[in-house]
Amino acid sequence: MKAVYLRELQSYFYTAGAYVYMGVFLLLGSIFCAVNNVAARSGDVLSLLWMMGYLWMLLTPILTMRSFAGDRRQHTDQLLYTSPAPLTGIVLGKYLAACTVLMITVLLSLVYVLIIALWGRVYPGELLAGYTGFILQGCAFIAIDLYLSVRARSTMTAAVTAFGVNLGLWLIDVLNAAVTMAPLNAVLEFISPYQRCTPFRLGQMSYASVAYFAAVIFAMLFLCVRHLDMRRWRSV
Amino acid sequence: MIVISSVSKRYGSKEAVHDISLRVQPGEVLGLLGPNGAGKTTLLNMLTGFMAPTQGSISLDGHDLTLEPRQAKQLLGYLPEQAPLYDEMTVRDFLRFVCALRLVVKADAEAHIDEILQLTHTKEVEGRRIGNLSKGWRQRVGLAQALCGDPPILVLDEPTSGLDPRQTVEFRELVRSLSHGRTVIFSSHVLSEVQEVCTRAVILHRGRVVFDEKLQDIGKSSTYRLSARVLGSEKQLMSGVRSLPSVISAVRVPCDDKGQIALNLTCKAGGTAEQELFTLLTALEMPLMRLEAAESTLEEVFLRCTQS
Repeated sequence: MKAVYLRELQSYFYTAGAYVYMGVFLLLGSIFCAVNNVAARSGDVLSLLWMMGYLWMLLTPILTMRSFAGDRRQHTDQLLYTSPAPLTGIVLGKYLAACTVLMITVLLSLVYVLIIALWGRVYPGELLAGYTGFILQGCAFIAIDLYLSVRARSTMTAAVTAFGVNLGLWLIDVLNAAVTMAPLNAVLEFISPYQRCTPFRLGQMSYASVAYFAAVIFAMLFLCVRHLDMRRWRSV
Repeated sequence: MIVISSVSKRYGSKEAVHDISLRVQPGEVLGLLGPNGAGKTTLLNMLTGFMAPTQGSISLDGHDLTLEPRQAKQLLGYLPEQAPLYDEMTVRDFLRFVCALRLVVKADAEAHIDEILQLTHTKEVEGRRIGNLSKGWRQRVGLAQALCGDPPILVLDEPTSGLDPRQTVEFRELVRSLSHGRTVIFSSHVLSEVQEVCTRAVILHRGRVVFDEKLQDIGKSSTYRLSARVLGSEKQLMSGVRSLPSVISAVRVPCDDKGQIALNLTCKAGGTAEQELFTLLTALEMPLMRLEAAESTLEEVFLRCTQS
């Protein structure tokens, strides 16, 4: 796992992947901060994090598209799957490498918090809850998009499918707002990764939401391993 | 030792590999031949654990690839048809990664990589990005990665395809030098290459083994080959033929005529194989439709075995 993790991480920085991801994040994050906090003279960090949470939808496919689909394209999957490394280790290595790039990006976003703290007041408890939701949401998107990369034959297909699915997850909220059927609303709210962040946005630590994101990550990584294993046995 | 037992692989209704059984002894250099679509790459993919067989099992030095994949894969070095390389890495970084993947002890890795670089003559490009290397160099780096962890079994799938004549000769020399003390399975389209590098040739046709013999035995006076066509039941015939004292091996080959069974027999020179065969077929009441002395060169063997 460690070998795959280090290689993937190195690869993000040897190619444009990590720089594009972090660059676009910082550009859009800065615009959000300028509009939401500086121009509006607001010290509300949680609403900034909430807005930046939508960036995961847009940016995660950049990070995950090459993970497995790229290996398939350049035939390095043969190197990985004929090595003694177990599939679980390969999947975890790739996942953790993508999460590390996400964490570096999250660390960079602390610049906005610093700017807000210079002129306003930042509450550590609120900040902790806000960042927990922000990071978990990002990690869940990585797991979902990684699974789509496992299934894709080309990096472009992986990126487009991932973006489509991420957009679909956001549309759950749009659909929820448009429909007024209590049972359906309950289901939509339960599965929406954005609704699941509402407690964090309010500065509350929600263990139910933490469990939800942990379950999504586990399920997606499990599906990645199963799909790769199934491909070995496939006969069509 | 590599033991392939009754291995088959199906893709939907198409059977890419049909009931192949092979034993490859340590130190053997086996050349896997066959026309396009014969099932060579599918067989190698199963042998390396990249693909699982639909039926049958494969074990490497007693470790079953499905039940003990980790132990079995540690014995293998694989160079697929297209070398699996990360273009953005330097050659040395890439080999470091493969060593870590193949569980080479970190303290020994650098010395091991130096040894591989010397062996594959890639020392001069160790600091270059793989994406900037020519096809010949890439192929050498591909071979270098297969040597990481010093595996006792090397599997090379058409390693010289796409190389120019000089590179092909150099690469062939390299493989020959690496084969000492290793079991090598070498798939190729080029018969002369197999004749030069390998000690044994296996020909696949339509997913079946149609020829399997040591190269030194082809055309040698100690053995000769017979090609026979018989009307009758395969099971009875094959067991009967294989029990004949003068027959060393009997392989069934594809036959156009319905109801007929085509056989290639390798027989002991000076024996009485023809007489034994006639006696057997008379006892089994199976008419002999054709019997002829077969070829003696690998090219002739290949052409005959792979004719439709």
